[in-house]
Amino acid sequence: MALAVRGLTKTYRAGFTAVRDLDLVIADGAFFGLLGPNGAGKTTLIGAVCNLLRPTAGEIRVFGHDHGSREARRLVGLAEQDVTLDRFIDAEEMLVFQAGYYGLSRRDAWKRARELLDQFDLSAKAKSRRSELSGGMQRRLLLARALVHQPRLLILDEPTAGADVELRAELWSYIRRLHGAGTTVLLTTHYLEEAEALCDEIAVLRDGAIVARGSADALRERFDARDIGELYLRVLESARTTAAA
Amino acid sequence: MSAVAPHPEAGAFRAARSPFLWLLEREIVRFLKLWRFALVGQVLSALLFVLVFGIALAGRIDAVGGVPYKRFILPGLVVQAVFTVGFVNGTTSLFEARHDGYINAVLASPLRWWEINLALVVGSIVREVIVGAGVLALAGPFVGLGFSRPLVAVGALVALLVTGAQVGVLAGAYARSLDDIYSIESLAVLPLGFLSGIFYSVDRLPGVWRTLTHLDPLFYFVEAARIGVLGTGDISAGVALAVAGGIAAALTAWSLLVFRSASTLKP
Repeated sequence: MALAVRGLTKTYRAGFTAVRDLDLVIADGAFFGLLGPNGAGKTTLIGAVCNLLRPTAGEIRVFGHDHGSREARRLVGLAEQDVTLDRFIDAEEMLVFQAGYYGLSRRDAWKRARELLDQFDLSAKAKSRRSELSGGMQRRLLLARALVHQPRLLILDEPTAGADVELRAELWSYIRRLHGAGTTVLLTTHYLEEAEALCDEIAVLRDGAIVARGSADALRERFDARDIGELYLRVLESARTTAAA
Repeated sequence: MSAVAPHPEAGAFRAARSPFLWLLEREIVRFLKLWRFALVGQVLSALLFVLVFGIALAGRIDAVGGVPYKRFILPGLVVQAVFTVGFVNGTTSLFEARHDGYINAVLASPLRWWEINLALVVGSIVREVIVGAGVLALAGPFVGLGFSRPLVAVGALVALLVTGAQVGVLAGAYARSLDDIYSIESLAVLPLGFLSGIFYSVDRLPGVWRTLTHLDPLFYFVEAARIGVLGTGDISAGVALAVAGGIAAALTAWSLLVFRSASTLKP
């Protein structure tokens, strides 16, 4: 298993429970999509997996390792929804230092940074800081940073948010190739067609719990939906009805 | 976007170069990129105090305990400069990392909590040393610098470097807004500096002011530094070093607890 989450609960200091007793297993090599409205718990789940918050309860294992271990952390790459780029250093340094945090030698870190700048068409902006990059460039740099240590599990939180059509197509193509090369991908998105186009399996999250899971085709059949948009609305409606009952 | 790299082998984490050293290097690179403010500006501020108080006004101010005024104030000015630099470095580095979210890239990596704390603290100390050395190198020739009790001076310096760095890191860990940081700086750091006996001997103060100065933690760092440089002070070297060392140790313990629990770094 690439990711095994059992009984995960996260209650924030203010008392809000974002994720409640959540179980989720993602197979090695899967392309898994996580859908849900704002506040459903997607980013909280990702934050818990990546050690960015303190779970209230539950267990998380990454390729069999406890998610807090160094072994687990080196296997996960995260591209966040927000543009969380270091404001003080340039694009190339960002990748070099990030590679260093994962234990690469100085020579390998610089080599890997240049490879990624080249792959993401950012070589001309290697010496530019965050504020000097366009939104699309920042988005590409975030993905490059997530890949600098060649993770086996890549977590993409709204990777194409704000991207234009051309960039979105490029990112889709690149992510597909990563998946083809054996990378397990966990994707959250608000673009339903993106989830349908890319993911083998989809789960819908609502109020911190998974309310439906399966392939897009299987879910459409189960909820008698014509397309992914209708499916999404029916799943949420069904969950609302069940919760109210 | 072309080639896709293969995955590394799974298994125990092994680093070709310590992630701690990488984070420390990033901390140093960060302030070197801001050298005009981070280094030159800080040295210049302290130097201006030396020039105005120690040289321009020296003729109108009596010697303190037989020590020329410009020599008397230099140890305290270095203490204030180093402490302020430590505070500013820790707060800007950690607060900005939390505020902009790029601390997540560090927290998600194999870096351990104590490595993150140590890199931030050592990074601040490097900046403190550069600024402190700059002030001494430029002001020393004007005032005639020497170390009467070198061991006391070294002890005072170590305690001061650690304290300044840890205060900055703690403020950076707890601050929720820039307003918090500016408030701490103007309502705590600045008054503590001016009331720490940099510009006067505590023996010359009336009762209440003397008591207030003794309650100021920075007073013990100023006294320890002054005894190390001039050989004389208002309290004994043992008391000054014990209090300064105790403050440094307590702040370090607090800082380590904050990073271990991650209570302010992770929701």
